[in-house]
Amino acid sequence: MLIEVFGPGCLKCQTMEKHAKEAVEKSGGSHEVVKISDYAAMVSRGVLSTPALAVEGQLKFQGRVASTDEILELIKA
Amino acid sequence: MSEGFTQPSAFRRGGWLLLALPLWVFLYAVNHAASEWLAFRLLGLTPKSHLGEAVAFLLYDTPKVLLLLTLVVFIVTFIQTFVNPTRVRDALSRRRPGLGNALASLFGIVTPFCSCSAVPLFIGFLRAGVPLGVTFSFLVAAPMINEVALGMLFAMFGWKIAAIYAGTGLAIAFTSGLIIGQLKMERYLEGWVQDALKGPAMGELEEATPTLPARLDLAVQGVQEIVGKVWPYILAGIAVGAFIHGYVPESFMASLLGKSHWYSVPLAVLIGVPLYSNAAGVMPIVEALLGKGAALGSTLAFMMAVIGLSLPETIILSKVMRPRLIATFVSVVSIGILLVGYLFNAIL
Repeated sequence: MLIEVFGPGCLKCQTMEKHAKEAVEKSGGSHEVVKISDYAAMVSRGVLSTPALAVEGQLKFQGRVASTDEILELIKA
Repeated sequence: MSEGFTQPSAFRRGGWLLLALPLWVFLYAVNHAASEWLAFRLLGLTPKSHLGEAVAFLLYDTPKVLLLLTLVVFIVTFIQTFVNPTRVRDALSRRRPGLGNALASLFGIVTPFCSCSAVPLFIGFLRAGVPLGVTFSFLVAAPMINEVALGMLFAMFGWKIAAIYAGTGLAIAFTSGLIIGQLKMERYLEGWVQDALKGPAMGELEEATPTLPARLDLAVQGVQEIVGKVWPYILAGIAVGAFIHGYVPESFMASLLGKSHWYSVPLAVLIGVPLYSNAAGVMPIVEALLGKGAALGSTLAFMMAVIGLSLPETIILSKVMRPRLIATFVSVVSIGILLVGYLFNAIL
């Protein structure tokens, strides 16, 4: 699965990326976590509020940090 | 869609929430008596002395502000789970100036917003056809009429002051956006922004809607996150407030920030802008200022300058705007704040 984390690099965004990586580790599967910090790229995907997280091209969280468990749930689903 | 949210933890938290409310009411009710007992009995300080009054203010205000903040943040975060920036953007898209500015200012109050989101939100709005002036109304309203500040003002000083704050903030956001829209400053956006506005959309991401337990969960998380992050600012604000309350003579404050001098409002703004605090941290200072005879207009101007015109946000926005647009933005908002200060010093 492709997990994208959107954020310019503020503390919240770093936490989100960390949680995403932890969730991937817990799931035991091979999933790819990609961090997107380029504003132009974020905007062209329709991200308005950071941090945001998308799984397989679907925006799941926007404007808040999701917990490791929440992201794990998404990976499992 | 609800698969994305963990249900069991939400239900566990539901039980905690039912316990938390009576506990909150109890703590709030005994706070005043407890603080007096601590200051004057246990510590043996003399009532009406400088130190006694300062310490009593500190002991009373710390739990009070933290309790109010917890409740306000919980309610505000819960409400915010219903407001989605994508839907706000679509509602503002291609709006005429005037109505668009009014709607944008109102949405600015309730939309969850952090300054690191300012850039994607700004470009995202423009891309979707929200006019520049309407986008600015939103960008001014979002930090200036801080929803937590509004809740705290209501809880601490009553609905009138809260309404004055919201009303004047809306007026500033509405007018600034209208003016910037009229100035046709689109060409003062940075080059890469102008390119990004023309670029093709890459298929927008779909977003999930949270369930009620998930919304309550988010509200609890909001409390943990915000109260956990801002308590140092609150303590600093309360320390300043306690000093003003105990040591600064009323005549001094009245001469500095009273309504009879022309310089009191610009002075309040000048003190406010470099003070980087947040909505909650500035409340105890506002409380002490008003208590010591500072005029409402000056105090309002001070508060708006601290919350609404922040240096970090200006720096972030300078990535998308050329200096001329930034300067226009800052001056229009500052003039608005000054006018509000003078207006309320004159009529109250």
